[in-house]
Amino acid sequence: MINFFEGIFNSFYKNLIAGDAYLIVLKGLWVTILISFLGLLFGTILGAVLCFLRISKIKILKKTSQFIIAVLRGSPVLLLLMLLYYVAFANSRIDAVIIAVIAFSLNSGAHIAEVMRSAVEAVDHKQLEAARMLGFSKSKAFFAITLPQAAIIAKPVYQSAVVNLIQWTSVVGYVTITDLTRTVNNIGARTGDPFFALFFGILIYLGLSYLVYSLFSIGEKRSELK
Amino acid sequence: MIKIAGLTKRFGNLVVFENIHTHIKKGECIALIGPSGAGKSVFFRSLAMLEIPDSGSIFINGTDITKKEVNLNHVREKMGMVYQGFHLFSHLNILDNITLAPVLVKKQDKKAAEKKAMELLSLVGLTDKAGNFPHELSGGQQQRIAIARCLAMEPEIMLFDEPTSALDPTMTGEVLAIIRKLTKMGLTMVIITHEMKFARDVSDRVFYMDEGGIYEEGTPGEIFDHPKKEKTKTFIRKLKIFNYEIVSKGFDLVAMNARIETFCQKYNLDSKQVYYIQLFLEELIVEIFSHCYESSNPEIYITIEYSDESNGISICINYKAAEFNPFENSDDEIDHLGVTLINKMAKKIEYLYEPGLNSVNINL
Repeated sequence: MINFFEGIFNSFYKNLIAGDAYLIVLKGLWVTILISFLGLLFGTILGAVLCFLRISKIKILKKTSQFIIAVLRGSPVLLLLMLLYYVAFANSRIDAVIIAVIAFSLNSGAHIAEVMRSAVEAVDHKQLEAARMLGFSKSKAFFAITLPQAAIIAKPVYQSAVVNLIQWTSVVGYVTITDLTRTVNNIGARTGDPFFALFFGILIYLGLSYLVYSLFSIGEKRSELK
Repeated sequence: MIKIAGLTKRFGNLVVFENIHTHIKKGECIALIGPSGAGKSVFFRSLAMLEIPDSGSIFINGTDITKKEVNLNHVREKMGMVYQGFHLFSHLNILDNITLAPVLVKKQDKKAAEKKAMELLSLVGLTDKAGNFPHELSGGQQQRIAIARCLAMEPEIMLFDEPTSALDPTMTGEVLAIIRKLTKMGLTMVIITHEMKFARDVSDRVFYMDEGGIYEEGTPGEIFDHPKKEKTKTFIRKLKIFNYEIVSKGFDLVAMNARIETFCQKYNLDSKQVYYIQLFLEELIVEIFSHCYESSNPEIYITIEYSDESNGISICINYKAAEFNPFENSDDEIDHLGVTLINKMAKKIEYLYEPGLNSVNINL
């Protein structure tokens, strides 16, 4: 029994404390968070634009955005990332992290566009008309009536898109970025105790997911109080 | 107030309505009735340019709102529309539902808007629901809120699109009562409704829409008690009509009887009534045949009308021939047993002759 605890402690020490390994882990975590956050931010903006075009009445805009969304959603994000890194930006000096942010923005943007579209279409459009009849302009009515309701509808799906995005960023190691996954993998390889290092990595990802869920549920409680 | 000139709307080849001309005066309450698919809704929605008419003009207070340069948002501010399905803003509570437009569109002070909203809530009798959300209210209550929401913008025109047809009968009364109140406030109103009694009570004029336009219009008394045109009558009296024509001597009596039976079954007439209808027709046709069409081909038109409302049946037979009243020469009862029978059983029998055309009307 004592041996068991001692073993865990040893692993813990070896993997995370010795040589300030935890600082490296934190650095990797930071890269993961940075790529996820920026990917989500630009992805959401791109998603909103694509969604706007997708529901537009102008046929060419609609078809174009439909095509873009289909291509981006249908292709693996890792291939997109590699294509950008090894082909499109091969000769540029742009930082790999920025390229990763671009790749994840494109991919999550396409997903988020569809999340937004289905939410907007799920809102009772007669309420929008009712607002128009009260004198609201088209855009004013959209922001006052459709958007708040669409946000509520989209929230659960959006939330899982965020968690998905965070987990998919674990592939950035392929393009030389040292993110959380790459860090724990390196540590495991160095110490010869990969199980502990990788397991610890999973725990951190799990923690991130729960952080996302709890951030979303704070918003929920607030909207319930309202 | 509202003047409509030559308004036309088509969906592809389908003409919804064509060349409508009418004038609705300030403070008037118009009931729009008619069968479904007659273009009531489209006509009604085009009053607010929610449907864009293909041609014609709509003048609201002298401004042609079909013109491109007109700011429809301003026009609509002066109009309130109440929907069949309420369509309250489901993410806002009742008070916010009412104050949203005054605050955001009219830029009213939030406090003042809320004060006004509370007054309106007391008008519709729902002050205690101010903090509730729409889904917590019954249909009738939601509809009253929808009316209050429109009134908050102080409209000049109120449009009601079947305001009670999504409500169960216990709730229609509360909504109709509010609408009645509004008529006394001098608002100009247009109401699409299937509640004939309500339309009659509340409206100043009734438009009956059919055949791609306003088919007949008049005061409630004119439309409901003395409709002039054929389709209006049918609609008002909830008539079900069966037509049959006989233009050859070798006509198929069995087939006609079968069709009458189908017609009667469709409207739940009992078998005794069906039997009488068939019997009367058979006797009369024999009588008419033998008198009028010995040497010529018959031309007999039969109409059976059944009124859902009064449960009455009337049989009308028109035949082109020289004057012949089958009920007159029935002195010899044995020879004309059928006619005698009809004489005894029918509630009312009428005979009319216009040159070349005999018509017999029998009420059962």
